[in-house]
Amino acid sequence: MLRKLLFLTAALVAAAGLVFWLLTMPRPLDESVLAGTEPGDPVRGERMYFAGGCASCHASPEAEGVEGELGGGLVLTTDFGAFVAPNISPHPQDGIGDWSEMDFANAMLRGISPEGNHYYPAYPYTSYARMEVQDVRDIFAYLKSLPPVEGRADSHKIAFPFTLRRGIGLWKRLYLSAEPVVTFPEGTPENVLRGRYLVEGPGHCGECHTPRNFIGGLKLGQWLEGGPAAEGEGRVPGITPDEDGIGFWSEGDIAYFLESGFTPDFDSVGGAMVAVQKNMARLPAEDRESIAAYLKAIGQ
Amino acid sequence: MRKIVICISTLLFSASVFSVSAAAEIEDPVAVRKALMQAVAASAGTSSAMLRGNREYDMAVAKAAIATFHASAKALSSFFPENSHTGGTTAAPTIWKDPEAFGSAVAKFRAAAATAVDLAGHDGPADLEAFRQAVTPVLGNCSSCHQSFRVQN
Repeated sequence: MLRKLLFLTAALVAAAGLVFWLLTMPRPLDESVLAGTEPGDPVRGERMYFAGGCASCHASPEAEGVEGELGGGLVLTTDFGAFVAPNISPHPQDGIGDWSEMDFANAMLRGISPEGNHYYPAYPYTSYARMEVQDVRDIFAYLKSLPPVEGRADSHKIAFPFTLRRGIGLWKRLYLSAEPVVTFPEGTPENVLRGRYLVEGPGHCGECHTPRNFIGGLKLGQWLEGGPAAEGEGRVPGITPDEDGIGFWSEGDIAYFLESGFTPDFDSVGGAMVAVQKNMARLPAEDRESIAAYLKAIGQ
Repeated sequence: MRKIVICISTLLFSASVFSVSAAAEIEDPVAVRKALMQAVAASAGTSSAMLRGNREYDMAVAKAAIATFHASAKALSSFFPENSHTGGTTAAPTIWKDPEAFGSAVAKFRAAAATAVDLAGHDGPADLEAFRQAVTPVLGNCSSCHQSFRVQN
């Protein structure tokens, strides 16, 4: 009897382990995703690079003013631990110089490293997952055109159980999706859809402006409603078009804020949004206008 | 004559003592610095409206905006005493944790505003382009300072 019970327990543990193993397995893109897209174009890539705000986290903090040096090192202090942005300059050993396009696409769209490990979602791939493969290829081409920076950033400082990266596989099953957050009816203007792409995808606005649950997943039911800052101090304001958000801002106000950093009351942008706004200022005006159109169109 | 001199210097001395203690005993420094920032915001609004062509350029208005930036920049750092980091303020704790960095950020604002005052001259910047050159470096301080020294609550 006892032996039977032991055997059963062992079998159950093994089965549970196998299920966990299968459920948490990294699921890379199919090699065929690159087919049907053009080789990366660094000029288009630069626009996506600013839309994606890559430099806000990956620029070497000591290299302030030296544009395009993406040596990493910025520390994001969160409830889960301290995440350090890695070197994504085209340095062959310390950066991404030796990566293939597939490596980069898997990192951006699936949050998987070239070694096949899950990245922590401090890297906002849950948003980047909504990006077009072409845009990802273009960013990669642009990153390759930047100066290589020597030296690796520090490792993350994370406490158990978050050190078990494999578990992120389960988290991804809940929160990683290429589907848009907001669905619009047929006949929605093109610029609203373009704004949705920029906000929900590369711009990854929801990563800060949407509150998170206790395991760090975005509460999509409260999309862009603001909440406690996941990193740093204070609160992140809501940006929905109602009285809790920016309902009294016109589309022009939103676009002007993204360009100049001034709110309609001529308060100025502050905190982590300063770097974001500076990136947005580098986009063509039509992109800022599209973002504004989307932000006014949600929840209507 | 000597009496007059003594009298004047006593007056000056007590005036300086008074002003020092006045600064030290500001009843509500949070309210004062908010009022200063609101004056700066209003001037930024007027400046921006002219720069964007939403409002006709006016030398006197431009001069008034620059003078407001200058006066506020000079006054600002006196209204962040030790005990004023709580209670209805969006001032970041970094101001008191790293007073040197805060001081140098305010000094940058002050210097840009002082240069703008010089450029504005007696009557204000001669034309919109002159105003743009004078005021743009001042306005750049808003976000660079708020990046580290203000939190949203």
